[in-house]
Amino acid sequence: MLDVKDAAITDDYIDPVTADPREFAAKVNAWVPHDIVLKDAWFPLAHSFAITEKPVRRAIYSQPYFLWREGKTAVAAEFHPSEGLQGGKSEFTDAAGRYPVIEKYGYAWCWFGNPANAAPEHIPSLPYLPEDGGLPLHMLGTVRFDCTAPLSLENLIDLTHADFLHADVVGDEKMDKETVEVFHDSETITMVRTCVNKSVAPIMRRFGGVKVDVQQVRQVIRIYLRSHAAIAYGRFSPGDNVQLFHPCVPETRDRTRLDYAINTRNVKKTNLFRYLMPKASYKVSRQDSYMTSPQSPRYMQPEKRKDLHSPLDEAGQKYRVLMLALAERQARGDFAYHVNVSADCSEIIGYDGK
Amino acid sequence: MAEAWWAVARSEEVTSAKPINVDIGDQPIVLWRDQQGAVHALEDRCPHRRTPLSLGCVLGNGMIQCGYHGWTYDGATGHLKDIPNLKSDVKFPALYRAIPFAVAESGGFVRVCLDAKAPAPLLVAKTLPLSGTVNVALEHEHYIAALFDDPSLVLAIKGVRFTPYLLAELAEHEGKLVLERSCQWAGFHWPSPFSSDFPITLRIATDPVTGECDLLLRDDGFRPLLFATLAPVPAARGVTQIRWRATLEDNRHGMRAKLLGAGTPFSVHSTIDGAALRVLKPSASIHAATLRNEITARSAQTSAA
Ligand code: FES
Ligand SMILES: [Fe+2]
Repeated sequence: MLDVKDAAITDDYIDPVTADPREFAAKVNAWVPHDIVLKDAWFPLAHSFAITEKPVRRAIYSQPYFLWREGKTAVAAEFHPSEGLQGGKSEFTDAAGRYPVIEKYGYAWCWFGNPANAAPEHIPSLPYLPEDGGLPLHMLGTVRFDCTAPLSLENLIDLTHADFLHADVVGDEKMDKETVEVFHDSETITMVRTCVNKSVAPIMRRFGGVKVDVQQVRQVIRIYLRSHAAIAYGRFSPGDNVQLFHPCVPETRDRTRLDYAINTRNVKKTNLFRYLMPKASYKVSRQDSYMTSPQSPRYMQPEKRKDLHSPLDEAGQKYRVLMLALAERQARGDFAYHVNVSADCSEIIGYDGK
Repeated sequence: MAEAWWAVARSEEVTSAKPINVDIGDQPIVLWRDQQGAVHALEDRCPHRRTPLSLGCVLGNGMIQCGYHGWTYDGATGHLKDIPNLKSDVKFPALYRAIPFAVAESGGFVRVCLDAKAPAPLLVAKTLPLSGTVNVALEHEHYIAALFDDPSLVLAIKGVRFTPYLLAELAEHEGKLVLERSCQWAGFHWPSPFSSDFPITLRIATDPVTGECDLLLRDDGFRPLLFATLAPVPAARGVTQIRWRATLEDNRHGMRAKLLGAGTPFSVHSTIDGAALRVLKPSASIHAATLRNEITARSAQTSAA
């Protein structure tokens, strides 16, 4: 396996975001997410509980992944075990047609790319998921988006959409003040949204025991670019913190699979919110699909007209540029990770273990 | 296509409650009505992140708000007027807008022209009371050709049977393509190939560009029985959207003509019988394309002069 430390410091990496603003804008507007296929990444392809002796079929960019257990060990293969190594295998698997796979955080992470580069250090840090899994089933679920995965992530990282699209779940745009801060490196982007006196999320008012009219809200979205996986961490006061893991697996270039985990162990056992919040994903994801599904075909071809942006779109724009930068690097044959995505990010997202 | 006025909706379909989506060819359009009753048409694509504006809502001030991030547009100009989460009164640069289209409403139809600066069309005074909308999976040009060659594939007039015989083949009259077809009352009678005369006729006058047709059913005394306007508009995926309005003439002579008033006198089919269409021999429609080209070439000349 590749030693990340070797690859890290060597070349002269230029931050695509700090470059000239006109170049930045040109990149933002050259965004054709449908064309981006990044390699050398771990994808959380299945909840661990879903893997049994009977193989299940999943996909990353249409590349087949069959997952099953041999004894206690999860295996991922390019072919169904009953089919065997027929018709030749791709360069994504070893001689036996198997992909690198690691179980962590309650997921089977499968490698998409050159198997020689599959290092455990490239699995994202997810501070509020137990490393050995074991969350109860009611905190886990699957939803699907009828769109290309980057659009789903662009959706997530611009949370102003929630005030309109998910107002009936998480509250509307009424608040005194909203600030958005964005941090990034070559493999991650983190958006922190702070809302002062925001109207209380209906789900918290109804089921979470929040009795006041306004809340102080701090929401963090942190995307691990290559893995298309996001942390969505919300701190609400008053109210319980929301600890969502939101991976967007590109099953095909136009369809996204989300095996989510909402760890509500921080919520009192007597509070309905503990059981209902994970189920809100079913409603929220349909609301998102309502917009991202018609969006997706409109992002399949290069488009002459530029999208318009507001200052609230900083995160989304940087996300585009960072993804394009990764794609460009990969096109040049550079697949190295320059940062250690598995380093604990608790501090970055403001998670204090509670 | 650019200067034509397309009847993309019936008046009653456009409200302030919810915007609607229509298309002209591959141009999706959002339509809504403001609180003063004026209809607006913008491209159905939010310039922020390309979602359909028709998924949004009409605000109390008559503007349309995108359902995704709340960007709010003025209907007349398409200019962006508000991004609610910015919580500021900044004016947006003129570039920040959705493309507006020209709108005209009369006769119970909302017409849209893709050229926002197009001169207004002639107003239609009367709103015919019967109306409907159908989506037919057949391309615009083929749809009109089917109407010319066998109206029964496309529509039904109660108790009326269309014969294959024309009293006047397709020809130009005052800028329109006009034909007149002999019809019979349904029921048992001497078959049409052996009939010397027919009791009713259907005249179809068609706009050469949009295919919008005025239909007139008359008896052999030249008295009108039924008027209808049929507005086929090319929509996405080769579908043709048809809006129609119709009315019966009050004074109708003869029992069969009187019976037109019982039940549904006029309807437009929502599907076309493919088996019948495939073997339908082109007759009236044969010269349609040539005539159309002549008319449009001539009008291009006059407007250039
Ligand atoms: S897509 Fe319309 S407001 Fe963002
Ligand atoms: Fe969302």
